Amino acid sequence: MSGQENDTDILRDDPMIAAEYALGLLEDEELDRTLAKFERDEAFAWRRDWWNNWFSPWTDEIVPMEPGPEVWQRIERDIAAAPSARTSVQSAATAPSHSDSGQVVMLERRVRRWQWAAGITSAAAALLLAVLLFTPGADPVPSDSSADTPALAVADPLVASIPVGDTRLGVTYLPATSEMLVSASGLTGDGVHDHELWVVPADGGELQSLGVIAPGEERRVAIPQNAAQAMDAGVELVLTREPIGGKLEGEAAGPVVAQGSLSQV
Amino acid sequence: MASERTKSSDEAREALRDAMIRLAAGDESALEQIYNATRVKLFGICFRILGDRKEAEDALQDVYVNLWQRADRFDPERASPISWLSTFARNRAVDRLRTGKVRAGSVAVDEAMPLPDEAPLADMLLVDAERNAQIHKCIEELDPNTREHIRSAFFDGYTYAQLAERADVPLGTMKSWIRRGLMKLRTCFEASERS
Repeated sequence: MSGQENDTDILRDDPMIAAEYALGLLEDEELDRTLAKFERDEAFAWRRDWWNNWFSPWTDEIVPMEPGPEVWQRIERDIAAAPSARTSVQSAATAPSHSDSGQVVMLERRVRRWQWAAGITSAAAALLLAVLLFTPGADPVPSDSSADTPALAVADPLVASIPVGDTRLGVTYLPATSEMLVSASGLTGDGVHDHELWVVPADGGELQSLGVIAPGEERRVAIPQNAAQAMDAGVELVLTREPIGGKLEGEAAGPVVAQGSLSQV
Repeated sequence: MASERTKSSDEAREALRDAMIRLAAGDESALEQIYNATRVKLFGICFRILGDRKEAEDALQDVYVNLWQRADRFDPERASPISWLSTFARNRAVDRLRTGKVRAGSVAVDEAMPLPDEAPLADMLLVDAERNAQIHKCIEELDPNTREHIRSAFFDGYTYAQLAERADVPLGTMKSWIRRGLMKLRTCFEASERS
Protein backbone atom coordinates (compact mmCIF):
# COMPACT_ATOMS: atom_id res chain seq x y z
CA MET A 1 0.00 0.00 0.00
CA SER A 2 1.55 3.29 -1.03
CA GLY A 3 1.98 6.17 1.36
CA GLN A 4 -0.10 8.21 -1.03
CA GLU A 5 -3.17 6.19 -0.05
CA ASN A 6 -2.82 6.83 3.63
CA ASP A 7 -4.04 10.33 4.21
CA THR A 8 -3.52 11.17 7.83
CA ASP A 9 -7.15 12.22 8.28
CA ILE A 10 -8.57 8.96 6.90
CA LEU A 11 -8.58 5.98 9.19
CA ARG A 12 -8.84 2.84 7.10
CA ASP A 13 -10.28 0.72 9.88
CA ASP A 14 -12.38 -2.43 9.60
CA PRO A 15 -15.66 -0.57 9.05
CA MET A 16 -14.01 1.29 6.16
CA ILE A 17 -12.74 -1.94 4.60
CA ALA A 18 -16.20 -3.48 5.02
CA ALA A 19 -17.66 -0.46 3.20
CA GLU A 20 -15.17 -0.84 0.37
CA TYR A 21 -16.14 -4.51 0.14
CA ALA A 22 -19.87 -3.67 0.12
CA LEU A 23 -19.36 -1.18 -2.72
CA GLY A 24 -17.39 -3.80 -4.67
CA LEU A 25 -14.12 -1.85 -4.67
CA LEU A 26 -11.81 -4.56 -3.35
CA GLU A 27 -9.92 -6.84 -5.73
CA ASP A 28 -7.45 -9.71 -5.82
CA GLU A 29 -5.54 -10.60 -2.67
CA GLU A 30 -7.14 -7.87 -0.61
CA LEU A 31 -10.56 -9.26 -1.53
CA ASP A 32 -9.45 -12.78 -0.52
CA ARG A 33 -8.10 -11.57 2.81
CA THR A 34 -11.30 -9.67 3.47
CA LEU A 35 -13.51 -12.67 2.62
CA ALA A 36 -11.43 -14.87 4.93
CA LYS A 37 -11.73 -12.33 7.72
CA PHE A 38 -15.53 -12.20 7.40
CA GLU A 39 -15.51 -15.91 8.18
CA ARG A 40 -13.65 -15.60 11.46
CA ASP A 41 -14.50 -12.09 12.67
CA GLU A 42 -18.13 -11.67 13.61
CA ALA A 43 -17.91 -7.92 14.24
CA PHE A 44 -16.39 -7.44 10.80
CA ALA A 45 -19.14 -9.54 9.17
CA TRP A 46 -21.73 -7.55 11.11
CA ARG A 47 -20.30 -4.34 9.69
CA ARG A 48 -20.46 -5.74 6.14
CA ASP A 49 -24.15 -6.55 6.67
CA TRP A 50 -24.66 -3.08 8.13
CA TRP A 51 -23.27 -1.42 5.01
CA ASN A 52 -25.17 -3.78 2.73
CA ASN A 53 -28.41 -2.95 4.53
CA TRP A 54 -27.73 0.75 4.05
CA PHE A 55 -26.68 0.52 0.42
CA SER A 56 -29.28 -1.95 -0.82
CA PRO A 57 -32.28 0.47 -0.80
CA TRP A 58 -30.27 2.46 -3.32
CA THR A 59 -31.16 -0.27 -5.82
CA ASP A 60 -34.74 1.06 -5.71
CA GLU A 61 -33.47 3.73 -8.12
CA ILE A 62 -32.79 1.09 -10.74
CA VAL A 63 -35.46 0.68 -13.40
CA PRO A 64 -37.13 -2.70 -12.87
CA MET A 65 -37.22 -4.97 -15.91
CA GLU A 66 -39.01 -8.12 -16.92
CA PRO A 67 -36.67 -10.96 -17.88
CA GLY A 68 -37.57 -13.32 -20.73
CA PRO A 69 -39.94 -16.19 -19.81
CA GLU A 70 -37.25 -18.76 -20.64
CA VAL A 71 -35.14 -17.68 -17.65
CA TRP A 72 -37.45 -19.43 -15.20
CA GLN A 73 -37.42 -22.55 -17.40
CA ARG A 74 -33.62 -22.52 -17.30
CA ILE A 75 -33.64 -22.17 -13.51
CA GLU A 76 -36.08 -25.07 -13.20
CA ARG A 77 -33.93 -27.17 -15.51
CA ASP A 78 -30.80 -26.43 -13.45
CA ILE A 79 -32.36 -27.30 -10.12
CA ALA A 80 -34.07 -30.39 -11.54
CA ALA A 81 -30.61 -31.94 -11.86
CA ALA A 82 -30.28 -32.59 -8.13
CA PRO A 83 -33.46 -34.33 -6.95
CA SER A 84 -32.05 -37.73 -7.86
CA ALA A 85 -29.50 -37.30 -5.07
CA ARG A 86 -32.35 -36.19 -2.82
CA THR A 87 -34.38 -39.29 -3.71
CA SER A 88 -31.51 -41.61 -2.93
CA VAL A 89 -31.05 -39.84 0.39
CA GLN A 90 -34.66 -40.55 1.24
CA SER A 91 -34.41 -44.21 0.35
CA ALA A 92 -31.17 -44.53 2.29
CA ALA A 93 -32.85 -42.94 5.28
CA THR A 94 -35.44 -45.68 5.38
CA ALA A 95 -32.78 -48.39 5.43
CA PRO A 96 -32.33 -49.86 8.90
CA SER A 97 -29.15 -49.47 10.94
CA HIS A 98 -27.99 -46.42 9.07
CA SER A 99 -27.81 -42.72 9.73
CA ASP A 100 -30.54 -40.85 11.46
CA SER A 101 -32.32 -38.15 9.49
CA GLY A 102 -30.10 -35.38 10.85
CA GLN A 103 -27.04 -37.09 9.46
CA VAL A 104 -28.78 -37.65 6.17
CA VAL A 105 -29.62 -33.99 5.88
CA MET A 106 -25.99 -33.11 6.51
CA LEU A 107 -24.88 -35.57 3.87
CA GLU A 108 -27.44 -34.37 1.43
CA ARG A 109 -26.28 -30.82 1.83
CA ARG A 110 -22.67 -31.89 1.55
CA VAL A 111 -23.27 -33.89 -1.60
CA ARG A 112 -25.37 -31.17 -3.14
CA ARG A 113 -22.65 -28.62 -2.52
CA TRP A 114 -19.95 -30.92 -3.76
CA GLN A 115 -21.93 -31.66 -6.86
CA TRP A 116 -22.32 -27.98 -7.42
CA ALA A 117 -18.60 -27.44 -6.86
CA ALA A 118 -17.42 -30.19 -9.11
CA GLY A 119 -20.11 -29.97 -11.72
CA ILE A 120 -20.60 -33.72 -11.56
CA THR A 121 -23.76 -35.45 -12.70
CA SER A 122 -26.55 -36.23 -10.30
CA ALA A 123 -25.96 -39.95 -10.84
CA ALA A 124 -22.37 -39.46 -9.73
CA ALA A 125 -23.58 -37.46 -6.75
CA ALA A 126 -25.91 -40.28 -5.77
CA LEU A 127 -23.01 -42.70 -6.06
CA LEU A 128 -20.82 -40.49 -3.91
CA LEU A 129 -23.59 -40.36 -1.34
CA ALA A 130 -23.94 -44.14 -1.40
CA VAL A 131 -20.19 -44.48 -0.89
CA LEU A 132 -20.26 -42.05 2.00
CA LEU A 133 -23.19 -43.83 3.60
CA PHE A 134 -22.17 -47.41 3.12
CA THR A 135 -18.37 -47.49 3.24
CA PRO A 136 -17.57 -49.49 6.37
CA GLY A 137 -15.38 -47.66 8.82
CA ALA A 138 -15.77 -44.35 7.06
CA ASP A 139 -17.12 -41.49 9.08
CA PRO A 140 -19.66 -39.99 6.72
CA VAL A 141 -20.76 -37.14 8.92
CA PRO A 142 -18.71 -33.97 8.76
CA SER A 143 -20.39 -32.45 11.80
CA ASP A 144 -19.36 -35.39 13.96
CA SER A 145 -15.74 -35.23 12.97
CA SER A 146 -15.54 -31.54 13.73
CA ALA A 147 -17.29 -32.09 17.07
CA ASP A 148 -14.72 -34.73 17.99
CA THR A 149 -11.85 -32.43 17.19
CA PRO A 150 -12.59 -29.09 18.77
CA ALA A 151 -9.06 -27.89 18.03
CA LEU A 152 -9.91 -27.97 14.34
CA ALA A 153 -13.13 -26.06 14.81
CA VAL A 154 -11.25 -22.97 15.91
CA ALA A 155 -8.36 -23.39 13.48
CA ASP A 156 -7.44 -20.37 11.40
CA PRO A 157 -8.19 -20.35 7.69
CA LEU A 158 -5.46 -21.32 5.26
CA VAL A 159 -4.91 -19.35 2.10
CA ALA A 160 -3.21 -19.92 -1.22
CA SER A 161 -2.74 -17.49 -4.07
CA ILE A 162 -2.01 -19.43 -7.23
CA PRO A 163 -0.68 -17.47 -10.21
CA VAL A 164 -2.38 -18.54 -13.45
CA GLY A 165 -1.04 -16.73 -16.51
CA ASP A 166 -1.48 -13.04 -15.83
CA THR A 167 -4.19 -13.60 -13.26
CA ARG A 168 -4.49 -15.67 -10.11
CA LEU A 169 -6.69 -18.13 -8.31
CA GLY A 170 -7.45 -17.33 -4.68
CA VAL A 171 -8.19 -20.20 -2.32
CA THR A 172 -9.21 -19.81 1.31
CA TYR A 173 -9.76 -23.01 3.27
CA LEU A 174 -11.94 -22.91 6.37
CA PRO A 175 -10.99 -25.86 8.60
CA ALA A 176 -13.95 -25.35 10.92
CA THR A 177 -16.45 -26.25 8.21
CA SER A 178 -14.26 -28.06 5.64
CA GLU A 179 -15.26 -25.45 3.12
CA MET A 180 -13.19 -23.36 0.79
CA LEU A 181 -13.74 -20.01 -0.82
CA VAL A 182 -12.51 -20.04 -4.37
CA SER A 183 -11.97 -16.76 -6.13
CA ALA A 184 -11.56 -17.42 -9.84
CA SER A 185 -12.88 -14.10 -11.07
CA GLY A 186 -9.84 -13.55 -13.30
CA LEU A 187 -10.12 -16.91 -15.06
CA THR A 188 -12.07 -17.48 -18.24
CA GLY A 189 -13.14 -20.79 -19.70
CA ASP A 190 -12.15 -21.80 -23.24
CA GLY A 191 -15.30 -23.88 -23.72
CA VAL A 192 -13.45 -27.16 -24.20
CA HIS A 193 -11.49 -27.52 -20.94
CA ASP A 194 -12.10 -27.21 -17.23
CA HIS A 195 -9.53 -26.64 -14.54
CA GLU A 196 -9.49 -29.00 -11.60
CA LEU A 197 -7.84 -28.16 -8.29
CA TRP A 198 -6.00 -30.80 -6.29
CA VAL A 199 -4.29 -31.01 -2.93
CA VAL A 200 -0.99 -32.89 -2.78
CA PRO A 201 -1.00 -34.67 0.62
CA ALA A 202 2.12 -34.03 2.72
CA ASP A 203 2.49 -37.79 3.37
CA GLY A 204 3.06 -38.40 -0.34
CA GLY A 205 -0.37 -39.98 -0.76
CA GLU A 206 -2.50 -39.76 -3.86
CA LEU A 207 -3.66 -36.35 -5.06
CA GLN A 208 -7.11 -35.47 -3.76
CA SER A 209 -9.51 -33.50 -5.92
CA LEU A 210 -10.93 -30.25 -4.58
CA GLY A 211 -13.26 -30.04 -7.55
CA VAL A 212 -13.54 -28.22 -10.82
CA ILE A 213 -13.01 -24.46 -10.73
CA ALA A 214 -15.82 -22.28 -12.05
CA PRO A 215 -14.08 -19.63 -14.17
CA GLY A 216 -15.04 -16.06 -13.49
CA GLU A 217 -16.75 -16.85 -10.22
CA GLU A 218 -16.30 -16.61 -6.51
CA ARG A 219 -17.70 -19.60 -4.75
CA ARG A 220 -17.92 -21.18 -1.36
CA VAL A 221 -17.80 -24.95 -1.59
CA ALA A 222 -17.65 -27.89 0.78
CA ILE A 223 -14.75 -30.19 0.00
CA PRO A 224 -14.62 -33.98 0.19
CA GLN A 225 -13.48 -35.37 3.52
CA ASN A 226 -10.37 -37.15 2.26
CA ALA A 227 -9.25 -33.92 0.61
CA ALA A 228 -10.05 -31.94 3.77
CA GLN A 229 -7.79 -34.24 5.78
CA ALA A 230 -4.89 -33.35 3.50
CA MET A 231 -5.40 -29.59 3.82
CA ASP A 232 -2.65 -28.20 6.02
CA ALA A 233 -0.23 -25.28 6.11
CA GLY A 234 2.61 -25.84 3.67
CA VAL A 235 0.89 -28.41 1.46
CA GLU A 236 0.87 -27.84 -2.25
CA LEU A 237 -2.18 -27.23 -4.44
CA VAL A 238 -2.01 -27.88 -8.16
CA LEU A 239 -4.33 -26.89 -10.95
CA THR A 240 -4.65 -29.25 -13.92
CA ARG A 241 -6.28 -28.83 -17.30
CA GLU A 242 -8.99 -31.42 -17.84
CA PRO A 243 -11.89 -32.16 -20.15
CA ILE A 244 -15.11 -30.31 -19.34
CA GLY A 245 -16.45 -31.71 -16.08
CA GLY A 246 -13.05 -32.67 -14.70
CA LYS A 247 -10.66 -35.61 -14.86
CA LEU A 248 -12.22 -38.74 -16.29
CA GLU A 249 -12.38 -41.84 -14.13
CA GLY A 250 -9.51 -44.16 -14.97
CA GLU A 251 -7.61 -41.54 -16.98
CA ALA A 252 -4.45 -39.80 -15.89
CA ALA A 253 -4.82 -36.22 -14.71
CA GLY A 254 -4.16 -33.53 -17.30
CA PRO A 255 -1.12 -31.23 -17.36
CA VAL A 256 -0.39 -29.09 -14.32
CA VAL A 257 -0.96 -25.49 -15.35
CA ALA A 258 -0.39 -23.76 -12.02
CA GLN A 259 0.59 -24.45 -8.45
CA GLY A 260 0.81 -22.79 -5.06
CA SER A 261 0.91 -23.71 -1.41
CA LEU A 262 -1.39 -23.20 1.54
CA SER A 263 -0.26 -20.93 4.31
CA GLN A 264 -1.75 -19.69 7.56
CA VAL A 265 -3.50 -16.32 7.44
CA MET B 1 -54.57 5.02 0.12
CA ALA B 2 -51.15 5.59 1.59
CA SER B 3 -51.88 3.32 4.50
CA GLU B 4 -53.26 0.67 2.16
CA ARG B 5 -50.09 0.80 0.14
CA THR B 6 -47.96 0.45 3.26
CA LYS B 7 -50.03 -2.47 4.41
CA SER B 8 -49.78 -4.15 1.04
CA SER B 9 -46.03 -3.58 0.98
CA ASP B 10 -45.67 -5.01 4.48
CA GLU B 11 -47.66 -8.06 3.43
CA ALA B 12 -45.50 -8.57 0.37
CA ARG B 13 -42.39 -8.35 2.53
CA GLU B 14 -43.84 -10.76 5.07
CA ALA B 15 -44.76 -13.25 2.32
CA LEU B 16 -41.25 -13.01 0.91
CA ARG B 17 -39.69 -13.56 4.31
CA ASP B 18 -41.85 -16.66 4.84
CA ALA B 19 -40.88 -17.99 1.41
CA MET B 20 -37.18 -17.47 2.17
CA ILE B 21 -37.50 -19.34 5.44
CA ARG B 22 -39.37 -22.17 3.71
CA LEU B 23 -36.71 -22.36 1.02
CA ALA B 24 -33.95 -22.52 3.64
CA ALA B 25 -35.85 -25.37 5.27
CA GLY B 26 -35.74 -27.26 1.98
CA ASP B 27 -39.13 -26.39 0.46
CA GLU B 28 -38.20 -25.95 -3.18
CA SER B 29 -41.65 -24.75 -4.22
CA ALA B 30 -40.83 -21.53 -2.35
CA LEU B 31 -38.29 -20.65 -5.04
CA GLU B 32 -40.95 -19.94 -7.67
CA GLN B 33 -42.79 -17.68 -5.27
CA ILE B 34 -39.56 -15.79 -4.53
CA TYR B 35 -38.80 -15.58 -8.25
CA ASN B 36 -42.23 -14.14 -9.02
CA ALA B 37 -41.95 -11.58 -6.25
CA THR B 38 -38.43 -10.38 -6.98
CA ARG B 39 -37.43 -11.10 -10.58
CA VAL B 40 -38.19 -7.65 -12.04
CA LYS B 41 -36.18 -5.92 -9.35
CA LEU B 42 -33.24 -8.32 -9.49
CA PHE B 43 -33.22 -8.40 -13.28
CA GLY B 44 -33.16 -4.59 -13.29
CA ILE B 45 -30.10 -4.72 -11.01
CA CYS B 46 -28.31 -7.29 -13.18
CA PHE B 47 -29.05 -5.32 -16.34
CA ARG B 48 -27.94 -2.04 -14.78
CA ILE B 49 -24.56 -3.53 -13.84
CA LEU B 50 -23.98 -5.63 -16.95
CA GLY B 51 -25.58 -3.50 -19.67
CA ASP B 52 -26.47 -6.51 -21.79
CA ARG B 53 -29.78 -8.33 -21.77
CA LYS B 54 -28.41 -11.80 -22.41
CA GLU B 55 -25.65 -11.45 -19.82
CA ALA B 56 -28.17 -10.07 -17.35
CA GLU B 57 -30.48 -13.05 -17.94
CA ASP B 58 -27.57 -15.45 -17.39
CA ALA B 59 -26.70 -13.58 -14.19
CA LEU B 60 -30.33 -13.73 -13.04
CA GLN B 61 -30.44 -17.47 -13.62
CA ASP B 62 -27.22 -17.79 -11.64
CA VAL B 63 -28.70 -15.73 -8.79
CA TYR B 64 -31.75 -17.96 -8.30
CA VAL B 65 -29.92 -21.25 -8.81
CA ASN B 66 -27.39 -20.11 -6.22
CA LEU B 67 -30.18 -18.94 -3.96
CA TRP B 68 -31.69 -22.40 -4.11
CA GLN B 69 -28.32 -23.91 -3.22
CA ARG B 70 -27.50 -21.42 -0.49
CA ALA B 71 -30.81 -20.34 1.01
CA ASP B 72 -29.54 -21.54 4.37
CA ARG B 73 -27.15 -18.60 4.38
CA PHE B 74 -29.97 -16.09 4.60
CA ASP B 75 -30.33 -14.91 8.19
CA PRO B 76 -33.58 -13.00 8.80
CA GLU B 77 -31.98 -11.45 11.89
CA ARG B 78 -29.31 -9.74 9.80
CA ALA B 79 -31.09 -8.43 6.74
CA SER B 80 -34.51 -8.10 5.19
CA PRO B 81 -35.05 -10.61 2.40
CA ILE B 82 -35.19 -7.96 -0.33
CA SER B 83 -32.09 -6.22 0.96
CA TRP B 84 -30.23 -9.53 1.08
CA LEU B 85 -31.44 -10.58 -2.37
CA SER B 86 -30.60 -7.19 -3.92
CA THR B 87 -27.10 -7.36 -2.47
CA PHE B 88 -26.73 -10.96 -3.64
CA ALA B 89 -27.85 -10.09 -7.19
CA ARG B 90 -25.61 -7.06 -7.40
CA ASN B 91 -22.59 -9.02 -6.14
CA ARG B 92 -23.18 -11.83 -8.64
CA ALA B 93 -23.53 -9.32 -11.47
CA VAL B 94 -20.34 -7.51 -10.41
CA ASP B 95 -18.50 -10.87 -10.24
CA ARG B 96 -19.63 -11.54 -13.79
CA LEU B 97 -18.60 -8.07 -14.91
CA ARG B 98 -15.12 -8.62 -13.49
CA THR B 99 -14.55 -11.67 -15.67
CA GLY B 100 -13.91 -9.12 -18.39
CA LYS B 101 -16.32 -10.60 -20.87
CA VAL B 102 -18.91 -7.91 -20.46
CA ARG B 103 -18.57 -4.22 -21.07
CA ALA B 104 -18.50 -2.11 -17.97
CA GLY B 105 -20.58 0.98 -17.90
CA SER B 106 -23.84 2.59 -17.22
CA VAL B 107 -27.01 1.92 -19.08
CA ALA B 108 -29.20 4.77 -20.16
CA VAL B 109 -32.65 4.58 -18.67
CA ASP B 110 -34.34 4.56 -22.08
CA GLU B 111 -32.21 1.58 -23.08
CA ALA B 112 -33.90 -0.50 -20.41
CA MET B 113 -36.96 -2.35 -21.62
CA PRO B 114 -40.16 -1.00 -20.17
CA LEU B 115 -42.25 -3.26 -18.01
CA PRO B 116 -45.45 -4.69 -19.44
CA ASP B 117 -48.77 -3.25 -18.28
CA GLU B 118 -49.32 -5.93 -15.70
CA ALA B 119 -46.00 -5.04 -14.05
CA PRO B 120 -45.93 -5.19 -10.28
CA LEU B 121 -46.57 -1.94 -8.45
CA ALA B 122 -44.06 -0.33 -6.13
CA ASP B 123 -45.59 -2.46 -3.38
CA MET B 124 -44.54 -5.55 -5.17
CA LEU B 125 -41.06 -4.16 -5.75
CA LEU B 126 -40.76 -4.11 -1.98
CA VAL B 127 -39.44 -0.59 -1.94
CA ASP B 128 -38.24 0.46 1.48
CA ALA B 129 -39.28 4.10 1.24
CA GLU B 130 -38.07 5.15 4.66
CA ARG B 131 -34.63 3.64 4.38
CA ASN B 132 -34.39 4.93 0.82
CA ALA B 133 -35.11 8.49 1.96
CA GLN B 134 -32.38 8.23 4.58
CA ILE B 135 -29.70 6.96 2.23
CA HIS B 136 -30.56 9.74 -0.22
CA LYS B 137 -30.31 12.37 2.47
CA CYS B 138 -26.85 11.11 3.47
CA ILE B 139 -25.67 10.78 -0.12
CA GLU B 140 -26.88 14.29 -0.94
CA GLU B 141 -24.73 15.66 1.87
CA LEU B 142 -21.57 14.49 0.09
CA ASP B 143 -19.79 16.86 -2.26
CA PRO B 144 -20.99 16.25 -5.85
CA ASN B 145 -17.64 14.88 -7.00
CA THR B 146 -17.41 12.23 -4.29
CA ARG B 147 -21.08 11.42 -4.64
CA GLU B 148 -20.69 10.70 -8.33
CA HIS B 149 -17.72 8.35 -7.82
CA ILE B 150 -19.43 6.40 -5.05
CA ARG B 151 -22.55 6.14 -7.23
CA SER B 152 -20.43 4.86 -10.10
CA ALA B 153 -18.84 2.21 -7.91
CA PHE B 154 -22.27 1.05 -6.78
CA PHE B 155 -24.26 1.28 -10.01
CA ASP B 156 -21.60 0.56 -12.63
CA GLY B 157 -19.40 -1.84 -10.68
CA TYR B 158 -16.24 0.20 -11.27
CA THR B 159 -13.07 -0.56 -9.31
CA TYR B 160 -10.87 2.11 -7.73
CA ALA B 161 -8.51 1.83 -10.70
CA GLN B 162 -11.32 2.31 -13.23
CA LEU B 163 -12.74 5.26 -11.32
CA ALA B 164 -9.30 6.90 -11.15
CA GLU B 165 -8.76 6.38 -14.85
CA ARG B 166 -12.13 7.83 -15.77
CA ALA B 167 -11.58 10.86 -13.57
CA ASP B 168 -7.97 11.12 -14.77
CA VAL B 169 -6.55 11.34 -11.25
CA PRO B 170 -3.94 9.19 -9.44
CA LEU B 171 -5.27 6.01 -7.83
CA GLY B 172 -4.35 7.28 -4.36
CA THR B 173 -6.37 10.43 -4.89
CA MET B 174 -9.46 8.44 -5.88
CA LYS B 175 -9.06 6.19 -2.84
CA SER B 176 -8.81 9.23 -0.57
CA TRP B 177 -11.91 10.84 -2.08
CA ILE B 178 -14.00 7.73 -1.73
CA ARG B 179 -12.78 6.84 1.74
CA ARG B 180 -13.47 10.35 2.95
CA GLY B 181 -16.97 10.03 1.47
CA LEU B 182 -17.48 6.66 3.15
CA MET B 183 -16.45 8.13 6.51
CA LYS B 184 -19.09 10.83 6.08
CA LEU B 185 -21.71 8.28 5.05
CA ARG B 186 -20.98 6.17 8.09
CA THR B 187 -21.39 9.14 10.39
CA CYS B 188 -24.65 10.13 8.68
CA PHE B 189 -26.07 6.57 8.69
CA GLU B 190 -25.22 6.14 12.36
CA ALA B 191 -26.87 9.46 13.16
CA SER B 192 -30.01 8.32 11.28
CA GLU B 193 -30.13 5.19 13.40
CA ARG B 194 -29.95 7.17 16.62
CA SER B 195 -32.65 9.64 15.63
